[in-house]
Amino acid sequence: MELQQKNPLKEFAPQLERTSIQGYAWILFLLMVIGLGVFAFLNQVIYGHEVTGMRDNVVWGVYIVNFIFFMGVSYAGALISGTLHLFKTAWRKPIIRMAEFITVISLLIGPCFILLCIGRLDRLPYLVLFGRIQSPITWDVIAISTDIFGCFIFLYLAVLRDLATLRDYELLQLPNWRKKIYKALALGYTGTPEQQQRLNRATDIMAAMVISIAIIVYSVLAWIFSVTLQPGWHSTIFGPYFVIAAVYSGSAVLILCMWVFRKVYHLEEYITKKHFVAVGVIMLVLAAFFGYFTFSDYLTKWYGSEKNDELLIQLLFKEFYWPFIISNYVGVLLPLLVIGIAKLRTITNITLTAIVVIIALWLNRYIIVVPTLESPYLPIQDARPEWLNYTATWVEWSLTAAGVAVFCLLFTLASKFITIVPVSGLEGEGKKEDVLI
Amino acid sequence: MKRVIALLIVFLLTSALAVKPSYSNTAEKPDSTIKPVESRLSLNYLCGSDSVLLIATLSINKGDASFFLKNAFIDFSASDGKVSRSLGKAATDQEGNAIFKCPAAGLPIEKDGMVAYTAKFTGTNKYPTAEASFSAKPAKIRLFFTIEDSLRVLKITATQKNEKGEDVAIPKETLLIYIPRLFSLLKIGEIALDESGSGTLEFPKEIVGDTLGNLTVIAKIEESDKFGNVQGQNVINWGVHKQYYKAEVPSRELWTPIAPLWMIITLLIMLAGVWAHYAYAVYELVMIKRLSKKEKPPVY
Repeated sequence: MELQQKNPLKEFAPQLERTSIQGYAWILFLLMVIGLGVFAFLNQVIYGHEVTGMRDNVVWGVYIVNFIFFMGVSYAGALISGTLHLFKTAWRKPIIRMAEFITVISLLIGPCFILLCIGRLDRLPYLVLFGRIQSPITWDVIAISTDIFGCFIFLYLAVLRDLATLRDYELLQLPNWRKKIYKALALGYTGTPEQQQRLNRATDIMAAMVISIAIIVYSVLAWIFSVTLQPGWHSTIFGPYFVIAAVYSGSAVLILCMWVFRKVYHLEEYITKKHFVAVGVIMLVLAAFFGYFTFSDYLTKWYGSEKNDELLIQLLFKEFYWPFIISNYVGVLLPLLVIGIAKLRTITNITLTAIVVIIALWLNRYIIVVPTLESPYLPIQDARPEWLNYTATWVEWSLTAAGVAVFCLLFTLASKFITIVPVSGLEGEGKKEDVLI
Repeated sequence: MKRVIALLIVFLLTSALAVKPSYSNTAEKPDSTIKPVESRLSLNYLCGSDSVLLIATLSINKGDASFFLKNAFIDFSASDGKVSRSLGKAATDQEGNAIFKCPAAGLPIEKDGMVAYTAKFTGTNKYPTAEASFSAKPAKIRLFFTIEDSLRVLKITATQKNEKGEDVAIPKETLLIYIPRLFSLLKIGEIALDESGSGTLEFPKEIVGDTLGNLTVIAKIEESDKFGNVQGQNVINWGVHKQYYKAEVPSRELWTPIAPLWMIITLLIMLAGVWAHYAYAVYELVMIKRLSKKEKPPVY
């Protein structure tokens, strides 16, 4: 009994055992938003893509922007969690689970937005049946499906010890079916030296794999754009640019998740200012890299004076002025200022900066996709003038909101199924704030 | 619980069907003005060598919105000034065009050789009737190709029907000469007809034809007050033979039978490498499960 009281799971047990009224209200709200998304989706299925803002010229809109954004966040989660694990970073424990959840949950949501882009869902199997290796779309399908498997295996390996702890902790007041699930998923892990050795070896290998796959998969996603000759897309640095932008947005999402779960589950003793500063510094470095890549990309296009590139840059500074400024100036400079200046480096400031970065990076994907499609090389004959420009409709915004709601819901449910902070090996770690970093 | 889910699905489905999508770029906006609904019909005419093509375009003005009417039947008729003869009817397509083709021979001709064509939309409960008419003299353009002093020459004769129905020359009319290309017609010259209704043009060299060098040459009288649009065409193998590029080895194109070998090998190596590691991780999990059967659980 005394041993059980020392178990850190005791501190986290209420999160798993009970859900407050506010918690239920939150879940109900998310379900309502998802319901709105379902309604919008049914509208789209019944009336066709005419209910969206996508037309002959701009065939990709907010859906593809969300796809790139969520996939980027997922790869960032994989890169951050894999790197923290592989390098045995001292302060990783309280936040690594969130990074792992971000990876898998975003990876489940992202591809759904691609499905929303498809007008004839009944023809989806053709992608597999008649897919051609020459097509970047086929590369993406292969890469994403491979990544999903890898990330699930990595997450499972990462939570295995905690599943065993939950299975064996007798004071946990949970329904029997949940205990049975823990028992089945724990695979009989008891922490023997040989089991630990095998688990560590497999986790290390998968951590290395998810890092490399994340880089490859997001590069493949960038190549879908850059292998075309479209102005604004045809760039050799699009692969690394996308990877940097992805990790940058993911680090911001991680900071936001840390702030939310710290408040909701009262994890102030585990997730401290030092964690925010540590992830904030990662975000600062990535902001600098992102700014460098952005500047390099636009500078070469501007200096090259190729007609269509010039037209695109003019368009960005006129019709897309504010999205361009927020994504490429505010989104780069704000983290450099807030995290770079010690006095400004507070938890609230870092979190607010992260929110701005998330918005900026979403807008960055928007100004990559839409302005290019609005300035095609060959104008489509007899296209109506109102079809040349893109404006997202309520259907697209509803489905976007639904995507965010699904992300929040799955994160909430995941945190109800397994502790948001890994409890195995955490004994006594929480209070030693100075040891964490 | 199942009932609740079923009710929810039914509610969402019926709501989705009931609510009409509000998108800005269709014409079916609610009628917010007091302007009456108006049908507009226009008639275009093209006279070929043996046939006449009548194209009627039907559009509807409803408030501030204007749109084409699909699947509306248009009646076509021709008249000699005394008696009107029905030619037939055609339905409009999504761009409001009803296209009707009839033989040039046997049309009722007025004394001055003109034929009056009429297109009529009889209207429906929602849309009023509309009518358009057009008069033109039937004409015919013939194209001939000859080589004179090693020069390639296009010769053209144009004729019209007199009141007796005989072919007589069209004098002093200007014809435009075109060759169809992928997206539009390429103009290669103009011919002014002489008193005998004929004219010539030196045919340009180095125009790319098909693989046999065949070119379709079109001669047109465009928007003439007397003849309307008249067209004649002929085919000649005076074009440069088109050479299709044929890749010797399969390249990256989607229509090539197989992906490049380097691509297949790279993909296979990467996939094999990644999935081998996955398999190893799963193998370790299986071994962890097997080890558990041999060990006793620890006490927390």
